[in-house]
Amino acid sequence: MSTKTCPHEDAVNAAARSGDWSPELRAHRDGCMTCAELSLVVAALAADAESLSDESIALPDPGLIWMRSRLAARERNFRRATRGIVMVQRAAVAVAAAIGLAFAPGLWNLVKGAVSGLSFGSSIAGLPRAAGSPLLVLVISLTVLGLLAISELTAAPER
Amino acid sequence: MIPMALSLPRTETSSHAAGAVTMDEAAFRRLYQRTARPLRAYLARCCGDFALADDLLQEAYLRFLRSGFEGEDDDHRKNYLYRIATNLMRDHFRRKRPETDEVPERDEAPGHDVAIHLRSDVGGAMAELSPRDRQMLWLAYVEGASHREIAKALGLRATSIRSMLFRARQRLAEQLKVRGLRPQEEVS
Repeated sequence: MSTKTCPHEDAVNAAARSGDWSPELRAHRDGCMTCAELSLVVAALAADAESLSDESIALPDPGLIWMRSRLAARERNFRRATRGIVMVQRAAVAVAAAIGLAFAPGLWNLVKGAVSGLSFGSSIAGLPRAAGSPLLVLVISLTVLGLLAISELTAAPER
Repeated sequence: MIPMALSLPRTETSSHAAGAVTMDEAAFRRLYQRTARPLRAYLARCCGDFALADDLLQEAYLRFLRSGFEGEDDDHRKNYLYRIATNLMRDHFRRKRPETDEVPERDEAPGHDVAIHLRSDVGGAMAELSPRDRQMLWLAYVEGASHREIAKALGLRATSIRSMLFRARQRLAEQLKVRGLRPQEEVS
């Protein structure tokens, strides 16, 4: 397939679009295969485009597109704004887990000791001593914080 | 190559505090009003499905707004929109690879008989071409895009466009002739 072009292509293109043919250009088109094909393609596509761009054809509502775009932007902004909080929460969980793992054996013994020191028969009397144990407080606090962070992280993202 | 057919006046844009520049709703509506119809025609003819064209049209504008693309003028913004739309079509054809050879031609909007026949003829002829040929021909001969703009929109080398366009044109002319259309006929 040859790709022979014609110097009159631009003029033929413009004439085929406007329908304004000079007698010379029309005569040239009728004798030049390249320009005949070009004029056929350009005129057909122009008529097709005009038909497809008919004003009676309903377009999607731009207001709806705008609203969807704003909602998506709001969601992105929300995610961006809460990214810091989520990162701090993740760090807190990681630190809590690391501390828990590092001190687990020792803490377990201390907790066991503290719990075994309690007399559940007279629980009211034993409670202040258990609650006053700093290690027990630390363990419980870390556990609660960890659970809170986990529940926050696993909650469904706000729409 | 003649300049871009759709010459549009400037659209107002505004700056946001964060530095991102985007248009307000009124400016968006103006841009939409001027570009949506030809863009939909491009999508409809290149993908051959009016419902799909509407979906892709909406997605193209959503991506355009999300990008915060400012552009030098409305022609620049329009070119960017066509690039997004072309990429969306390419993604669609990639996903639907086995069906790309058969493009459905649906003339849903009732209208003039001659217009329907012509649209059907041109639509049928275009459907015989590859999606890239359809996009290239439309951009060149309907939108009046330059070879450089076509290359940018289709992700091709500008130097290849001339010969590719010539071949695509020959293929379409052949298909139109098969359907009985001749250069001498006044199709417009």
